Formats: sequence, C-alpha cells, structure tokens
Amino acid sequence: MKRAWQIMCLAFVAAAIVTLVSSFGYPYKDRLGPGPGFFPVWLSLITGGLSLALFAQVTWSRKAPFSQGSPLPENRAGTIRIFIILAALAGSLAFLDLLGFRITLFLFLIFLPLALGMRNWVIVLIFSLLGSFGVFHVFYYWLKVPLPMGVLGF
Amino acid sequence: METLQYWIQGFTVATQPVNLLYAFIGCILGTLIGVLPGLGPAAGTAILIPITFNLDPIGAIIMLAAIYYGAMYGGTITSVLVNVPGEAASVITCLDGYQMAKQGRAGPALGIAAIGSFIGGTFATMALMVVSLPLANFALRFGPPEVFALLVVGLSLVTGLSGRSLLAALTMTMFGLLLAMIGMDPVRGAPRFTLGIPPLYDGVGFIPVVMGLFGVGEILLSMEAPVLEIIKTKLNDLWPKREEWRVSAGAIGRGTLIGFFLGLIPGIGAIIPTFLAYVVEKKVSKHPEKFGTGVIEGVASPETANNSYANGAMVPLLTLGIPGSPTLAVIMGAFIIHGLTPGPFLFKERPDVVWGLIASLYLGNVMLLVLNLPLVGFWAKLLEIKYQYLYPGILLFCILGAYSLNQSVFDVGVMVVFGVLGYIFRKLDWPLAPTILALILGPMMERALRTALEMSGGDLSILVTRPISAVLLIIAVIVLASPAVRLFGKRAGKDEGG
Amino acid sequence: MKTKISILFIALLLCAVAASGFAAEYPTRPITLMVPWVAGGGTDTGARILAAVAEKKMGQPIVVINKVGAGSQVGCTELARAKADGYYLGCVSLPALNTIILDPERKAAFGIDSFLPIINQVLDPGLIWVKAESPYKTLKDLLEDAKKRPLAVRASTTGILGDDHMAIIMMEEIAGVQFRIVHFEGGAQQLTATLGGQVDVSFDNVGSVMTRIRGGQLRGLAVMDPERSKFLPDVPTTVELGFPTVISSSTRGIMGPKGVPAPVVKKIQEVFLDAMKNPEHMEKMDKAGLAVKPIMGEEYIKYFRNLQERCKSLVDAARKAR
Repeated sequence: MKRAWQIMCLAFVAAAIVTLVSSFGYPYKDRLGPGPGFFPVWLSLITGGLSLALFAQVTWSRKAPFSQGSPLPENRAGTIRIFIILAALAGSLAFLDLLGFRITLFLFLIFLPLALGMRNWVIVLIFSLLGSFGVFHVFYYWLKVPLPMGVLGF
Repeated sequence: METLQYWIQGFTVATQPVNLLYAFIGCILGTLIGVLPGLGPAAGTAILIPITFNLDPIGAIIMLAAIYYGAMYGGTITSVLVNVPGEAASVITCLDGYQMAKQGRAGPALGIAAIGSFIGGTFATMALMVVSLPLANFALRFGPPEVFALLVVGLSLVTGLSGRSLLAALTMTMFGLLLAMIGMDPVRGAPRFTLGIPPLYDGVGFIPVVMGLFGVGEILLSMEAPVLEIIKTKLNDLWPKREEWRVSAGAIGRGTLIGFFLGLIPGIGAIIPTFLAYVVEKKVSKHPEKFGTGVIEGVASPETANNSYANGAMVPLLTLGIPGSPTLAVIMGAFIIHGLTPGPFLFKERPDVVWGLIASLYLGNVMLLVLNLPLVGFWAKLLEIKYQYLYPGILLFCILGAYSLNQSVFDVGVMVVFGVLGYIFRKLDWPLAPTILALILGPMMERALRTALEMSGGDLSILVTRPISAVLLIIAVIVLASPAVRLFGKRAGKDEGG
Repeated sequence: MKTKISILFIALLLCAVAASGFAAEYPTRPITLMVPWVAGGGTDTGARILAAVAEKKMGQPIVVINKVGAGSQVGCTELARAKADGYYLGCVSLPALNTIILDPERKAAFGIDSFLPIINQVLDPGLIWVKAESPYKTLKDLLEDAKKRPLAVRASTTGILGDDHMAIIMMEEIAGVQFRIVHFEGGAQQLTATLGGQVDVSFDNVGSVMTRIRGGQLRGLAVMDPERSKFLPDVPTTVELGFPTVISSSTRGIMGPKGVPAPVVKKIQEVFLDAMKNPEHMEKMDKAGLAVKPIMGEEYIKYFRNLQERCKSLVDAARKAR
C-alpha cells in the first residue's frame, strides 16, 4: 500500500507539472485582475506541493496514514469480474452511436449476466430485452428523452 | 389577519380533488425521475413541461413543484441503495447512507430520510408563509462578493471530511479544482484545457464525474467480493432504533435551519446546505470518527437540509421572482408559459395561485411521506436481486442517465473513465467527496470572484469592505486553521507528556 | 401464364413500393429541434411553444432537446456537424452566434457559412432597465451620471459578447460615456443583482423583464428599436431619445446545417410559418412577452450576414477593453 500511495503522489506531481506548463499558455493577468491563466498556475503549484508533502509523509514519517491492506483486488476471480465489467462498458462506448441504444444495450445485458456466471438463458434474454428495447420504448416514446440511434437508423 | 385568510383560501384551492391528483402524480413522477441517475430534476422537469401545457395554470404549477421536491427524495433512494447520487443534493447522503445499506440497514436510512425530508420541507413551507418578503430582501444583499466568500467557507469545510489523511483530502480537493478549470473561463469566455474537444467547452460535466467516481467505482469495487453483497433485510429492521431516533432529532433540527436559510440565497446550489449540515452534525457529535461508516445522523442531516433547502428556495422565487437554481428556472419558465410571472406582482394579482401553491407544497410534503414510507421495504428488497442482474441493471441506468444529459456518448465515456479512477482511489482509501465538492464549487467561485472584480473595477478590497463577505471570509480562515491548531496542540501536548 | 402474370404483378408492386419509398415526403420520422440554451429560458420557452404547435401540421413529433454550454457554442457546434437532411434543426439566437464566430479566442469550429438560416421566430428588442427604486428616472439621468462618473456606473449584461454587451458598447461610443461593465450568466442572475443593488443599470431584452416592468418591480428606460414595444408602450425608444443608431435586439430562429435540400427547407418554412401565425402560438408568446417576427429565406440569410458585419467592430472594441 505504501508503494501505491507513493506512485499516486508522483502521478499527481506529474499531472501538476503538465497543467502548470499549459497554464503558461493563457494570459496570467487581465485588466481587472486574475486572467484565465492565474488560477491554473497556482492550483497546479499547490497540487504539486501537497503531493510532494504527502509523498514525504508516506515515505519518511513514522505515523503512516495508509491502511495495511493491499491496493490490488483481493483475488483472481475478483480481478476477472472487474475486467468483465470494464470490457462491457468499453464495448457500450464503442458501439452506442454505431449500433444505437437498443442493440448495444441488448448485447450489454446479455453479455454481463452470462459472463458473471448466470446460466438461465431464458431469464437473461427476458432481462436484456426489457432493459434494452423496453427501457428504450419508455424513455424515447413516452418520456421523449432522445436516445442514440445507430447508423441503421434504428 | 390577512395571512390567515390567504392561507385558508390557499388550502381551499390545494385540496380541490383535481389539484390533489396533480400533486400526487407529480410526487410519483418526481420520485421516479430522481431515482434515475443522471436524469436530474432540471432535465426531467423540462421533459414534463409539455405535459403540463394542457393543464390549467394552477394545476400545472402544482404538479411541477411536486415533481421538483419528489425528485429530491428520489435522488436519495439511489444514493442509499447503490451509491449513485442522482444529483448534487444527494451526494452527501451517499457517505453514510450507502454504508448503512451495506450493513442491511437501508430501511432505517430511507425511513429517516423520508421523515427528515418531511419535517424539513414542512417547516420551510410554514416559514415561507410567515416571513417571505423581508427575508428575501435581506438575501438579495448576497451579491457576487458574498457568494464568493460563502463558497470559500464551503470549500474550507473539506477539512471536516478528511478521514485518515488530511493531505490526501487536500490533494483530492485540488484535483477537483483543477478539473473545474476545464472549459470556458469566466474571464474571456474562451476555452481552457479543452484539448480541442468541443464537448469539453462547457467543462467536464459534474454528473458524469460523480456517477463515475461514486457509482461505477463502487460497482467495480464490489466486484471483488460480490457474493458477500447479498444483503438480507429483515422486516423488523426497517425502522430506526430508539437511540437512532434521539440523535436524529438533533440532526433534523439543525438540518432544517441550515437548509432553509441557505435556500433564501439564490444561486448557491444544493450541495452547500447538505454539506454544511453534515459537517456541523459531525462537529457536534459525540462520535465524529464514526461518520462515514454508517451513522444515521449522517443521513438525517443532509436529507433534511436538502428538502428544507428546496422549499426555502421557493421564497425568492415566489416573492421576488428569482429562481435560485436551474430547476426552479424551469418551473419559472412554466409559470411564464402559462402567463404568470412570479414576483410581488403575482402575490397581488393572483393570490389564489401563490397561496394555492404554498398550501400544495405543504400537502405535497405529506403525500411524499405517505407514498415513500411504505415503499421503503420494497426498495430495500431490491438490493436482494442477484448481483449478476442488479449491477448490470444499475449500469444500464447510469449509461442512460449520462447520455441523456447532452445526448452525447462523450459524457458516458467521462463516467467510465472516472469509474476507473474512483475504483483506484477507493482502493487507496483517498476520499472522493472533496473532489466532487471542489468540482461543483470551483467554477462558481471563479465566476463569483470575477464578477465581484468587475463590480469593483478590479479592486480586491471589495471582499473585505463589505460586511457580510468579510465575516464569511474570517469564518473560512478559522475553519481552515482549526486542523492546524489541533495538530500543533497535539504535538505540544506530546512533547510535554513525552 | 398465371405464374408470369403474378410475377409481373409482384414486380410492379415492388416497383411501386420502392418508388413511394424514394418519393416519400419529408418528414418520415421525428425531427429534433436543438436549443443551445438552458431549459426554461427565453429561447427555450419560445422553441417549445413553437414545436408544440408546429408538430401538428408537420405530422411528426418535434422533439426539443437542450445542448447547453459556452453561450450556445456547444449546441451550435453540434448543429454545424449534423446531417443536412432536415431532421436536426437548431433554435439559434443572434447575435450570439455571430460573436462566437467573430471572436478568435472562442476557437469556433464553424463559420458563417456552416449554417442555413431557415425561418426566424422571435425578435426581442434590447431594453435598458433599472429597479423601481433607482434614482434614474430617464435615460438622460443615466447618461448624465455616467458622464460625471466615468467607469463608475455599473452596467450589467446577461453574457460576455452577447447582444446586451454590444449594446452597451454602442451606447458608450455614441454618448461618449464609459460604464463599468459587469457580466452575468443569464437573466435570473442579472435580475437578482439589480434588485440587490449590486449594479446600477441593466441591459437585456424586452421579453425577459416585460411582466416585471408592467408590475412595477422594475422601470424601463429605453427600448433599443425603431418602434415602441407593444408590450411596453410607455417606454420610449432610443430613436425618440436622440440615439437613432443604438439599435439592438436578440433574434431566435430555426437554422439547419448548410446543405439542407431546398424542398425540405420549403416544407419547414411552410409548417413553421403557419405555426407562428397560429392564434394559440401567438397567445402563449404574448403571455411570455416574446414578440413574434417571422423572417424567411433570403431575407433571413441577409439579416444574418448584415449582423455579422455590424458586430465586427463591436467585438473588436469589446476585445480591446480586456
């Protein structure tokens, strides 16, 4: 965990440096006071400072603020499940505009329960139909909330 | 007494069967809209305006107001059950509410939320009837300098959420502030840090970020050990325990006052009252370290505050015609479409509309309570659905909600990215609430400061020469300095003892 | 023989179906009307009223969506990139769109040629107003005070580089005064600030504050239009008061991305013009204080381009003051 905290602190420091450099591209002062670049400059400096302070505290202070656990998922099965969810989410992002809401979520809702271990195809099918086509109908036709249509216009 | 006469007249209007029906439908629709994450009250209300086109003005406005405060409660349900706040007002409720749900205590959490909301809302409505105009005029003295100072106080309250590491909390706050810099700056209206991506011109939306950090992140986290997540709720566990009632009473009282008075100040948004109420509650509590693990006051307090705020925000709307939030602006738009302009004019010309609405607010609060208390058991049982269906279902609504904000897949992408970040931060035990707070308050602060400088012609001293803002800034300094004082105090004590 | 006839019959039937498919009249599915402003505001209110009336004659639902952000830049970017088939339209506000294009710092992803103005709905004249308790009873009072105290009288707008901002700059140039300009985001903030005494005078449009002026909460000093507003017959125009060039207004109309086919444009104009003249539409718009002024086709396109020219110098002046 200590290593994880250190890495995160350094990541923040890096992000702060990048932001600081880009902030120089915006006017610092303005006729009336702080320009668009003013706050980003100071915020990135403070962020960098705080992250370095935290890094120092984690590395060298006797009283460590972090817990004893591990920053990684507890077991392999858990890691796999997390990746399944992420894969499904990534897929939905990729296909939402291409295939439209109904088809994308239909696939999403079939994939997830099955990948997570459900075996009853009938229930999965009903679930995904209700969740994709059913929900679409309620929202698009009844509530008039625009939802993505795919290239097939569907 | 004129007010009494108006009050009676108002009740006569509000209790007409058709108006009662509209209020009832509004409560149900509002709760449903609030339950759907991402489809916040503003968007939901806008969708429903066309429905109300065909109703008479009083009925339409009663229904819209019912939808508005119904949605406040709906947002609570998702915050407690699945850690996905429907909108800004429900974010703080996640902190203790969701923890309670994980311990099988979703019932008491939702129950106390319903009761607290009822008490807060009712008090606010009664106060509205009695004190409207002078209070509203006082609140008008909150110009940009005062709003800036108040926001600084709000941000300084972050120190109350620090958990195990103050430095980590402060870093997360900075993270939120940096995220808030993305988008059009308030100075020149030119894009900043947008990497040329048009959807970012308006900033990285707060709702996709919070849905990602809190909701998706939580789902990823629970994927590690989901078998343990089947939460059985016993029926007699649906009600808060006796000591919980006792501590909640104080929380509800404090939350009501904080929410109402902040509701009078237009434009500060619902997160400040809920956040302030929570931090105050933590500070007066005998066991502050338990906050965040599932204490009932941690739910009672923000929930009461948010309904009290919602009803309190009606004061500037009805007395001066100033909508305090985007949702109220939508309701005001509905007023206008029906040919009514809220404000002192309306009080004189159409007291039946105004007092009818006020009476209906009171009745609506009762209706919400009656509707929602029995449903608490139902909502709690929902958590028993197998996780292989429950979580995909929740994700479905998150995707829907995020997309519906701007009809853009980009927002869904933001949500997913922040979901991953949320998971990482949770594993590291770095607090997420400060980031959200900073993300909401940051842009408001920069704009308020900028406008204050425009008013003073570039003179920063306007912040301290005006009495209200000066006082607020002093409070902020005190709040920020207090952890440092405690630290020094401890060290000094240690030296003496050691 | 029978088989040949039936085949021929089926073939003819298929041809007829295909032909009717191609000749299918616009619209064959719902139309999206995108409003790049917040729900409940002036533009949004007008658009929703119009959509509700027009969809009856259009034969298909007209779904109003809001794509808010960056003073309509976010929504207009979407509009410029939308497919030019007539199913995605925008309710665009001018001169907001013009100033976005003219200000290089806004880095607009579109230009004046990216849009096709189809038909205008509202022309909301600019209005200079103060709260009822203000010491300024006439425009003359305001300008005298502004001359006496340069850069001290606080004048507010509802957005940087919006029509209000342009109007203030015009007034400054003609009357030889300098205001301290304060920008708010939208009418609600401006109203709060003015009532609270945070600013001294406000520039906005008739529609936003008309009912409050009639109710006595606010006072109108001047309407920035050649004619008096029918909603505020007692408020003099800038022309009457000796400033004939200080004319400003905000228009809202339907635009599509460039390249929408002519027959589709014609149908849209037909249906919406009809809707605008419809008594239900007029009544609701009147209640909202929005003056309906249909401008179609070539005239609207010319208006858009002329406005671009007029705004160029004003935007430059505004930018120099930064």
